[in-house]
Amino acid sequence: MAQTKPHMNLAVIGHVDHGKSTLVGRLLLDTGAISPHVIEQFKKEAEAKGKGSFEFAWVMDSLKEERERGVTIDIAHQRFDTDKYYFTIVDCPGHRDFIKNMITGASQADAAVLVVAAPDGVMAQTKEHVFLSRTLGINQLIIAINKMDASNYSEERFNEVKDEVGKLLGMVGYKVDEIPFIPVSAFVGDNVVERGDKLSWYKGPTVLQSLDDLKEPEKPTKLPLRLPVQDVYTISGVGTVPVGRVETGVIKKGDTIIFEPAGITGEVKSIEMHHEEYEEALPGDNIGWNVRGVGRKDIRRGDVCGHPDSPPTVVKEFTAQIVVLQHPSAISVGYTPVFHCHTSQIACTLTELKAKLDPRTGAVKEKDPAFIKAGDAAIVTVVPTRPMVIEKVKEIPQMGRFAIRDMGQTIAAGMCMETTPR
Amino acid sequence: MGEVAAKLKIMPESTDVDLNQLRKAIEKVVPEGSRVHAFAEEPIAFGLKALIVAVILAEGTSGTDELEAAVAGIEGIRSVEVVELGLL
Repeated sequence: MAQTKPHMNLAVIGHVDHGKSTLVGRLLLDTGAISPHVIEQFKKEAEAKGKGSFEFAWVMDSLKEERERGVTIDIAHQRFDTDKYYFTIVDCPGHRDFIKNMITGASQADAAVLVVAAPDGVMAQTKEHVFLSRTLGINQLIIAINKMDASNYSEERFNEVKDEVGKLLGMVGYKVDEIPFIPVSAFVGDNVVERGDKLSWYKGPTVLQSLDDLKEPEKPTKLPLRLPVQDVYTISGVGTVPVGRVETGVIKKGDTIIFEPAGITGEVKSIEMHHEEYEEALPGDNIGWNVRGVGRKDIRRGDVCGHPDSPPTVVKEFTAQIVVLQHPSAISVGYTPVFHCHTSQIACTLTELKAKLDPRTGAVKEKDPAFIKAGDAAIVTVVPTRPMVIEKVKEIPQMGRFAIRDMGQTIAAGMCMETTPR
Repeated sequence: MGEVAAKLKIMPESTDVDLNQLRKAIEKVVPEGSRVHAFAEEPIAFGLKALIVAVILAEGTSGTDELEAAVAGIEGIRSVEVVELGLL
């Protein structure tokens, strides 16, 4: 099938019960992503069960059942088209233990819709998701202030919530002037695809229009090559074949490459993707590449492939900004949890708590705190227990994010600010 | 909270591993209450194929650790990665 429109990965984030799923359902229904015969079938089922009216909630339930009955492998996301893009849309689970998957997972979102219910305003998960979107490098946001029907379509209430969310976004470094804030009622269908009569005071774009206004994400081909190794194989008649996904830069057949922290160089003999040979691979490509001069035992998962003139940075320590999501007690110097960063999992020790940050302003609230706990943002010094590749988030954002795990929980999420190379 | 679906990418130990056998083994180890929704195979390179499995997690499951560990323990599997996650 020819794919002419550019693709966007869209994440829907926000506090539980603020109407994320309802917004997704409304987008799909009103853009015609649900085929008419399915809608027709729902109507018949509704009538058969004595439900006279064709209610939106019924559509939502039926859609979920329809997905579960289906056999598609792509059940975790949904698809819909706008004039400009085709979107795959993921409704993010709010639970913290899924955050690891958002950070180390393969399908990085290009943009996010943050859903905030007008009657509630900013809640705990709203803050958490805003911080995480920033950490994850999601630079384009659309704010849907939902459930306006439950706030009497009040412009005053909209502005209050808008200010509250705006402060939060500004604090983590988003340019608030460039972000659309849209009053919507996903349940009624106001300002998602169709305009809402009761929101005539609002003159800005609808959610659908804002989606079309998003900028097409650029592939980071100009950054240095960073290709984390997922697994390494020896294939008979071929040789050593690491597999992985290109994060940044371009790898070409014939290139001399280096694996770090292994410190081993070799030559790219060939590159394959979907069992077809390619001359080069770009960010996002899942490839296997055959390397001359490198044995299977020389490299392993977590090593990163780059070019010798700008090799992956191996650190002896680094400075990071983290936010503590959950911890049963308090975190102090000496704590050694596991850092999940690209394909590596390495135990790292917090050797210094440099500063605790004010969650409202981002300014330093306390220097050299004795401990940090759930809800705190902090600047810390980290020493990996063995050599580790990580990059400054300002230079190579794709390689500078991590999740901190301990006791089966995601304790914190963070980004690397400064590195001390080995 | 709604149900969560996870898509796992499973790499075999080698090109000799029978992916159909892996499918059967995965069906057996999925944690109670979770269920396999669909399988697919994704060609990678040089004859290597990844097995892709979509799992609907048991209601109230927090995180994918248990599922990942159960699948990673199957003989013939090199690595397991959650490549996508979303509410149904």
